[in-house]
Amino acid sequence: MAPKPGDAPRDGVNSKKRKDPPPSSNLKSSNTKQFHPNKRVKAYVARNISSQPADAALKNGELDLPAFLKSREFEIKAMEDAMVKTKKSLNLRAFQQMPRDLRRRTASHNVKRVPKRIQKKHAHELKQDNAPLVDRNKRKPNGSRGRIRAETAKRLGILAAKKKAEQKKEGNKKGEDGIQTRSPRPKIRMGKLNDPQKPKSKFRKRQVHKSWLPTHLWHAKRATMTEPAKPLWRFAIPITSTEKSYRPTHRATGARGAVAWDTSYLSTIGLEGTAKNAEKVLKAIGVVEPSLWEERGQKWRDGKRTWSGWLSREHKGQRIQIGPAIIMWCPAEAKSPEQAGSISAKTPNSRLFIRVHPSAFLETWTELLRVSKQQRPMVLTIDLRFEIGSIQITGPGSTEALLGILQPISEDSGRPISDHGQVFKSLAGVTNSSALPLNALLSFSVSDPRLRYPPQRITLPDPQDQNASFAQLQMLSSWPADESIPSPALFDRDARHKATRLPSQKAINRRKSLAKPGAYPDPVETDPSIPIMLFTSRSTSASSAQGVWTLMAPWKCILPIWYGLMHFPLSTGNNPRFGGIQELRQTHFEHGMPWFPADYPSTAAGHAWEAEEMKKREAAWSRRPKGKRVEWATVDLGAKRKGEIGRGWACDFEKLVGLPVEDMGKPEQETETDLKKLSQAPECPFEQVSAASLRAELLAVDKKLDAPLPPITHLATISLTPVTRGVAYPCARIYRLPAELSSPPSSENSPTTRKEWLALLPAYLGQKAPPNPKKSTISRIPLDAPLPQRVRLLAQSLIQPPPSENDECYPLVPDEEDLIGFVTTGEFNLAEGKGRAIGSVILAKVLEAVRRDGKCGGNFGRLCIVRNAGERVGRLATWTSV
Amino acid sequence: MVRVKHRYLLVNILYPELLKAGRESSAKLPDAVTFHQPTTSGLNSRGLEKAIKHGVEELFGDYGYGAIRGSLQVKYLSTATSTFIIKVARDHYRMVWTALSFMTKVPGVHDAKPCVFRVIRVSGTIRESQEEAIRRAREQILAAQREQGEKSDLTLAGIFGPPGTKKDDVMMVDKGDGEEEGSNEG
Repeated sequence: MAPKPGDAPRDGVNSKKRKDPPPSSNLKSSNTKQFHPNKRVKAYVARNISSQPADAALKNGELDLPAFLKSREFEIKAMEDAMVKTKKSLNLRAFQQMPRDLRRRTASHNVKRVPKRIQKKHAHELKQDNAPLVDRNKRKPNGSRGRIRAETAKRLGILAAKKKAEQKKEGNKKGEDGIQTRSPRPKIRMGKLNDPQKPKSKFRKRQVHKSWLPTHLWHAKRATMTEPAKPLWRFAIPITSTEKSYRPTHRATGARGAVAWDTSYLSTIGLEGTAKNAEKVLKAIGVVEPSLWEERGQKWRDGKRTWSGWLSREHKGQRIQIGPAIIMWCPAEAKSPEQAGSISAKTPNSRLFIRVHPSAFLETWTELLRVSKQQRPMVLTIDLRFEIGSIQITGPGSTEALLGILQPISEDSGRPISDHGQVFKSLAGVTNSSALPLNALLSFSVSDPRLRYPPQRITLPDPQDQNASFAQLQMLSSWPADESIPSPALFDRDARHKATRLPSQKAINRRKSLAKPGAYPDPVETDPSIPIMLFTSRSTSASSAQGVWTLMAPWKCILPIWYGLMHFPLSTGNNPRFGGIQELRQTHFEHGMPWFPADYPSTAAGHAWEAEEMKKREAAWSRRPKGKRVEWATVDLGAKRKGEIGRGWACDFEKLVGLPVEDMGKPEQETETDLKKLSQAPECPFEQVSAASLRAELLAVDKKLDAPLPPITHLATISLTPVTRGVAYPCARIYRLPAELSSPPSSENSPTTRKEWLALLPAYLGQKAPPNPKKSTISRIPLDAPLPQRVRLLAQSLIQPPPSENDECYPLVPDEEDLIGFVTTGEFNLAEGKGRAIGSVILAKVLEAVRRDGKCGGNFGRLCIVRNAGERVGRLATWTSV
Repeated sequence: MVRVKHRYLLVNILYPELLKAGRESSAKLPDAVTFHQPTTSGLNSRGLEKAIKHGVEELFGDYGYGAIRGSLQVKYLSTATSTFIIKVARDHYRMVWTALSFMTKVPGVHDAKPCVFRVIRVSGTIRESQEEAIRRAREQILAAQREQGEKSDLTLAGIFGPPGTKKDDVMMVDKGDGEEEGSNEG
């Protein structure tokens, strides 16, 4: 790079092309002068080990025991001191003192990239290194990006000036009228899809085919977003944080801290109708658990609990799974006097929210619309996607962070804070939200979080205080929130709209400046109250796993809450972190749970996701140079089998069940039909089997050994744990164990036998690890062998390593007929310290294997073999339904 | 960047001859004390360095002298405990070791007592040598105290500790060096 003209005069002496040699390399050379002369002395002193003369170990020139001991003690002390001293004298560079996630490449030329505390030291070091420094004031925008930025800034400036001038004109006019109108409440159409609210003109062009999350501007600066032309589910969603290290996020989810996601992209659908008809609609979309509609489900129907489970739809006499959803009812209001007076006889309509993933929204919506129109009187379906936003937060500090920013207030001035608000306030000290009752739901109103910004640390109860923690445990088990009626405000359109008319930041600043120093401004009557719903969910059934808080609030109130959340000082240090889609997926994976839609390739949403991923993987593969990519056609699977099964970059279920493969080779025509494609979901030929029905099938496998198998297109999601070692990656092939052979194996038709695979099992897993027939090992220890020989043989057999994957005798993977599925998510799991995977398998083939195993009297039906795409080595793994 | 590699030798000066003589004269002292008795203060690091260089020159000629001359350095010398640490280039530390083995007297002193130079640890960093020195000193303290208490007749046990607890006495391991040396010469 040519030196820039601006650089030259800055430091005339130092601006050489080549750097000076490091100071320590040759101290005798001429540039010794520029360093402190006492530097050498310092180093010498630091490295010197003090010692005693001989007299110290003698007494009057004679040997003496106490003096001898003293001299040894002195030596020990001297050595220890010397070790400490040398370590201290080591030069620690400024950036080495920083935590890994704060290190920046740009810090090598920009002092401001390190924390203030060590900026001075860093600047000194950079100067010594003769590093090219940047000066912000002298920086010129270079490159196309800088030019575009400068041009945009210029244009925006012109626009702003024009607008200002116009406003001035209008302002004069307004002064004459003296009337200012408020923008009307946005219309929400019943039974029709609603458009997102019209964005500001400045941002409108960027939201033509997608919408932004309420926190988009915040996230766009700190996260990798979806590509502008390729939004995810018609939203611009943060994919992952721009920070380089994932481990702090991993720690925050489980050990210390909190992680929050803006999940406003999740779709909310409102239903309104008579209780009876609403029940019918819900039953029609798969909420059929009998306990829900009996006494046990009363709390749910009263709006005190949520229900989470899978929705399904009817199709040609079969139920097709749509996706997971959360349903919550609007609490039945205690009759207010006005209603009782005017429409006395009519019972108020019951209302409920259904929250689904946006990838399954359209499917759910169409089905709901169809079913609700059949009811008499009709049940109204309302699309509330851009009305209600949400935030998810997990981690030990999540409850604390929520307590710090949400300030429960009463909805009407004069009345006390609602019971739910009180219960929420008493949660201080809870470090795991799964300690709350299962699916607990709190609804109350909070004040504008901007009034209490910046948030301050809250006082937590002393964890050593046993009485207090016992009282809290009692509260959590009795759960007083069940006694009172929750606030239905979030279901109310007017309340939601009122909450979104938040005062301007200017007004809030004014109030804050009037408040006493260190105090928050006093609440006034006109303060809007923000209706929220707060509920917990557990990622796994294990209660020790961290629960997840979900906060639902009006769409426009998400941003102020988010700001508070991100700046809340946790008692364990730092602030809550934020995550993107990848972090969300990773936390699911670390809990061993599948994530919708990626891990359900047999639902319509998951099928679309997989198709998209497949395209990405194929593109990445074809971009690589020929010599460096896996040549699928020549993958050697052993026993004269050549070539990967199916497409190597895909979870090729189509090939597995014998469906024609869709032609993916015409990416050019996409642009025209892009919009059409978005509107119509790709047809999914598979059907998802829920975890419950998979479990039921497996339990009943002994009774119906000869019952007909389910269709081959039924897929189930499973979680895989490798028995020994190895990590499975997405697209890895899952095999079942090959069948037991009645005739002795001949090398042509069966590459491996069941026995060889079972020999890989460590002894504790199988009751008796069968010996590997191919391995020429020490056979049984002869009974008449003398003891030393027996001991030797035993030791030999114990330390004999298991066959490694490079061995000749490592078993080959089974044939294609034993291929049962593919891994959809697989990686090294930080929580467990070993590989884990989640995959989908064909139910019929699994059942076949389990039945076969049952007949043999073995218990190896839960074993499978996993082989990464393009590799030869398969690894033994156990699977469980999830 | 290539780092210049060194070896640190931790050496003890032992007096086995005096042990025999000492037992007759003063039977009160523990054997460990006599065995590890202090070296005369006449020994200084410069004299030691000179003596080692001289020894290497005698054994290996000018080649050996030239090989170690630049790198040999006494890092620590404690006459009270008869312990020292020397630093030498990794490729040639065996010459130094040999020279030490052939030394039978404290150098640079007139009527020096007969002694043995025993290399007890060869390490790549001085830290390892220091840790070993600490360990040894602790052992010696314990051995001396035990002997004083017991007044045991087992001289060898007093020196090396009881027979059961024999430690990895001398680290005569040159595991990694064989190949490197081969490559250097070849």
